[in-house]
Amino acid sequence: MVLHLSSRKTALIGFCLLLANAAAFARKNSPDRPMPITTKSREVRRLLDEAWRLNLDEVQQADAIEVLRKAVKVDPNFAFGHLLLSQCSLDPAEQVQEQQKASANRSHAGPAEQLVIDWFQNAADHKLIPAITDMNEVLNQYPHDRWVVFLANWWLTQQMQYDRAVAVFERSGITDSPGLMNNTAYTYAYMRQFDRAFALMEKYVAALPRNPNPQDSYAEILRLAGHYDQAIKHYRAALALDPRFYSSQFGIADTYSLMGDEKRAREAYRIAFQKFPSLPELHLIQWQTREATTFVREDDYAGADRAFQAIADRAHAKAMSQVEADTYRQMAMYQPEQKRALALLDKAEAAAHKGQNAMPFAIQQELAQVLRARVEAAVKMSNQKLAKSALNRVADMAQRSDDKVIENAYHGAAGAVLFSQHKYNEAMSHLEEDSNNPLSLRLLAIAYQKVGYGSEAKRVGETLANFNDATLEQAVVVPAFRKCYQDPACDGNFKNAALKK
Amino acid sequence: MKAWRLALLLGVVGLACSAQAKQLAVITDSANSTTNLTASELVKIFSGRTASWPDGKAIKIVLRDPSSADMQVAVRKLFNMTADQARAFVRAHSDVIVVADSDDAVIHLVSSTRGAIGLVDLYSLTKGVNVVKIDGKLPVEQGYLLKGN
Repeated sequence: MVLHLSSRKTALIGFCLLLANAAAFARKNSPDRPMPITTKSREVRRLLDEAWRLNLDEVQQADAIEVLRKAVKVDPNFAFGHLLLSQCSLDPAEQVQEQQKASANRSHAGPAEQLVIDWFQNAADHKLIPAITDMNEVLNQYPHDRWVVFLANWWLTQQMQYDRAVAVFERSGITDSPGLMNNTAYTYAYMRQFDRAFALMEKYVAALPRNPNPQDSYAEILRLAGHYDQAIKHYRAALALDPRFYSSQFGIADTYSLMGDEKRAREAYRIAFQKFPSLPELHLIQWQTREATTFVREDDYAGADRAFQAIADRAHAKAMSQVEADTYRQMAMYQPEQKRALALLDKAEAAAHKGQNAMPFAIQQELAQVLRARVEAAVKMSNQKLAKSALNRVADMAQRSDDKVIENAYHGAAGAVLFSQHKYNEAMSHLEEDSNNPLSLRLLAIAYQKVGYGSEAKRVGETLANFNDATLEQAVVVPAFRKCYQDPACDGNFKNAALKK
Repeated sequence: MKAWRLALLLGVVGLACSAQAKQLAVITDSANSTTNLTASELVKIFSGRTASWPDGKAIKIVLRDPSSADMQVAVRKLFNMTADQARAFVRAHSDVIVVADSDDAVIHLVSSTRGAIGLVDLYSLTKGVNVVKIDGKLPVEQGYLLKGN
């Protein structure tokens, strides 16, 4: 680099042009046409509209999947249809196959649809920058297209880019789409902007007063905000509208579990499974996992082992490698005996390496999660050598990847190791990067307290105490933390007694 | 229920509280052949000590308002100033630094101006610009300079 002072005058002239250019850019009108859909079949177009209504507005996901299956059967070259099916399928094998078909049929799609296919393929291949540029390209071309807006809102939320996800919705000018209201309300809830989430939920309920999903979503968002009793009322309202809306039946059980009433939760799960014996595979596993988690909340680890093992066995029998791996990983997380935890993590890793019926990126994410759990187990055993070895492996994965889940797993693991070495300042910078995980939040709250950042410790403590997502991590960390947080007698060094589970 | 909740990944911790740290991408116009800058070269450009590219083309800097939340990591690591100091610096160098009101505007200006360099959020990137590595790293890589809140 060379310094050329004489270039100043040229720069000044250039800048007059630059500023004029900026004004012209600001005046540019946004296009408002929909993204062209490439199919010769009118039936496919009709089915696509039906899929939108079922999938987005009413969230009848199983029905929507059937409609999309019909669409790609009518037009097997309908690449955009294959892509949508790959993303919303509840069958891991179908997800993989449909993603491949979307790419294989890319040449049959129009330019904008090709951008969407490339975007999701790049995302699946861990090529984040091309995925982002593809997304923005198609968003710039079709900022008001409902499918583009939905896909961008959904993908950005997955990427934890909540502000941006909301901005896509707000800039779209689409105010009458119940499906977009629903998903955006969830994004606000993840940002803990519950007033905005509730306002959108009111509009969603008003838009589809006879549909159960608005009530179901309202219930879930109320639950995320900690309003359990109101959540149950809305779940019941959804079931009154449609007794077959199984998400609400299970939602009641999930809510009892988060409330700490595990016996009642299990009874509610039992009734729900009896009432709905043929759930889509991933929904079945989701709620079986939550039912198993009720035992963890009661510290009944033998009961939890039986329930989780049954899920792992089913996943193994159905060759669902990621599900099997994730189930063993979750089992490892609550084990009081760390040797047993490590043995379970060996099983998790072996299952993940089989890679059956799972997207390659999902397997990599799972492996990173397993390594992170291995670090946690090693730290509990005070085995720094083992912790370092697992940390190096997940660090290597993060180095070679641009995947947020893998990166977060690395930061969570690094934070846990540094915290165990009492290197709180260094730990904090890693734990802050994994701030959606209760395991990291707990350590972060203590680390802030240790270094004297009282207000930050309080903020993180409040976030953790109000963490109402029905995950195993929540079950392992939050109830104990909350109990101490609310107990005036439990106050030593940021309620360390509760934090040391 | 939210549409597509379970579509991709099962079991990974839910989304529940806060967003990730911002990553700023360094962008140039697509005709610029510079693909990598060291951190110190970048600091020299943003402090005005380097005013041209190796091919002699004058450097034009395009930024968001230095006091905006998105720019704080750049203010700290490139200007080594407070937000107010950075604002004053930008005002004093208005012949070479322009403040745009959005990432889209930054990208538009950089893509249409030979010799321009700009900073945008990673998730604002579009195809019309080059992304420059810093010390051999892209924004998505571990240890990237312009990452943080």
